[in-house]
Amino acid sequence: MRHVPTVAMRELRSLFVSPVAYVVLSLFCVLAGLFFVIGVAAFDTWVRQLMQFQAFDQLQELNLNDQLVSNFYDTMSVILLILTPAVTMGLFAAEKTNGTQELLLTSPLTIWDIVLGKYLGAALFVALLVLLVAAFPMLLFLYGDPEIGKTVSGLIGLLLVGWTYTAMGCFASSLTRSQIVSFLITLVLLLTLLLLPAISDLGVVGDAEGLGRTLRWLSTGEHFQQLLKGLVDTADLAYFAVIIGSMLLLTKAAVESVRWR
Amino acid sequence: MIEARALTKRYGEVLAVNSVSFKVERGEVVGFLGPNGAGKTTTMRMLTGFVPPTDGSASIAGHDIFEDPLAARRSVGYLPETPPLYPEMTVTSYLRYVAAIKDVPRARRREAIDRALERCALTQVRGRVIGTLSKGFRQRVGLAQAIVHDPPVLILDEPTVGLDPVQIGEIRGLIRDLASGSGDSQHTVVLSTHIMAEVSAICRRVILINEGHKRVDASLDDLAREGRSLESLFARETGSETPVEAAR
Repeated sequence: MRHVPTVAMRELRSLFVSPVAYVVLSLFCVLAGLFFVIGVAAFDTWVRQLMQFQAFDQLQELNLNDQLVSNFYDTMSVILLILTPAVTMGLFAAEKTNGTQELLLTSPLTIWDIVLGKYLGAALFVALLVLLVAAFPMLLFLYGDPEIGKTVSGLIGLLLVGWTYTAMGCFASSLTRSQIVSFLITLVLLLTLLLLPAISDLGVVGDAEGLGRTLRWLSTGEHFQQLLKGLVDTADLAYFAVIIGSMLLLTKAAVESVRWR
Repeated sequence: MIEARALTKRYGEVLAVNSVSFKVERGEVVGFLGPNGAGKTTTMRMLTGFVPPTDGSASIAGHDIFEDPLAARRSVGYLPETPPLYPEMTVTSYLRYVAAIKDVPRARRREAIDRALERCALTQVRGRVIGTLSKGFRQRVGLAQAIVHDPPVLILDEPTVGLDPVQIGEIRGLIRDLASGSGDSQHTVVLSTHIMAEVSAICRRVILINEGHKRVDASLDDLAREGRSLESLFARETGSETPVEAAR
């Protein structure tokens, strides 16, 4: 495990000398800014309308966090769903096309050094994206009065969602030597994950007690929503840990499988 | 330094390497000769720990590849057929990374990298991005990667393939230098090739492999004394009619 930071730093530096990091960062910033401004404008219009209609009860209940910050985080989680696969697609696929897999596997590294190092490198990059998201609610603190607890717990939720996506991308990348295939597998996996509650609602998988409930539990969104509401529950945190952990275990098996053939 | 004991590799039904045994002593330069697909690369991959043998075992510098795989891998410098390079890194940062994952102590890394750069004549391109280098330079970076941690054993898979005659001469000279050092700087080298001239140019001993079997294991001096040429040996063992054709 000593070499995890070495592998992680190389991964991070490689991202920053390739165009991928800059494309992802700039797209992410543009989209974040756009959605934030749209959100603020919509909130503003809503407040004006309520004032026009003199709906003081509703104005009283209006909450900056629920109306603006949570929606913004939710949107950004979808943007992460599209951009994370671009960050993770090369993790293992590029090693295979470069032939550097042979270097890694003949070095005195354990498979965990490689898997955790690569995951950590990509996870740090995703953390940077979430940090950029954090800049926007900070603006609100200058002009408004959002709840700090809810703002932070939502941000933690977004970070965990990003790291879950990263772990899935890590696994997909370990399956193939083509970066495009890796990108597409990750995207489809993540979209399926997003749609799980809808599938469960179809009712074709049985009642809410059995498979339907399991599908709901598997969906990242369900747990993210709790954190957006400001509810930090160990059950939800455990969900993220379980998914990330099992994805990394699968990745380890996939990397090691070169040796079984 | 290297001991292979009945190394066998089976891919499904295909027997790629069949019970190959040999010993290589310190400072020897051994040529692995054989036609394409003979099992040279597979044997080397087993020695370097990239794939485990189906049967048999090996030890590198006294470390068994199964019982102490990390120590065995630490003792090997390996240049695969395509040099394992990250095109987006500079030569120096790449070697710094390799030195780190090969367990070169932090305090000695700079010195180790400078020495590898110097030995492979890479000093003037040390700051260049690997992707922009010519094929000859890339091959040398691959070689620098293999020697940066100063391993006692070097395993080189077709180190001169695809290079022009001048570059081939340079790489061969470098390999000879690596083996002729004294004491700790003396490397034991196993290199694979299908070019016979290469064996006579650098090696003192040849192991001929065909269809997964070891056919010949002899020193070049002995062969010369018996009046046998590499070409005739190769032709006889691989069953090729025209030895000169096979040489190319």
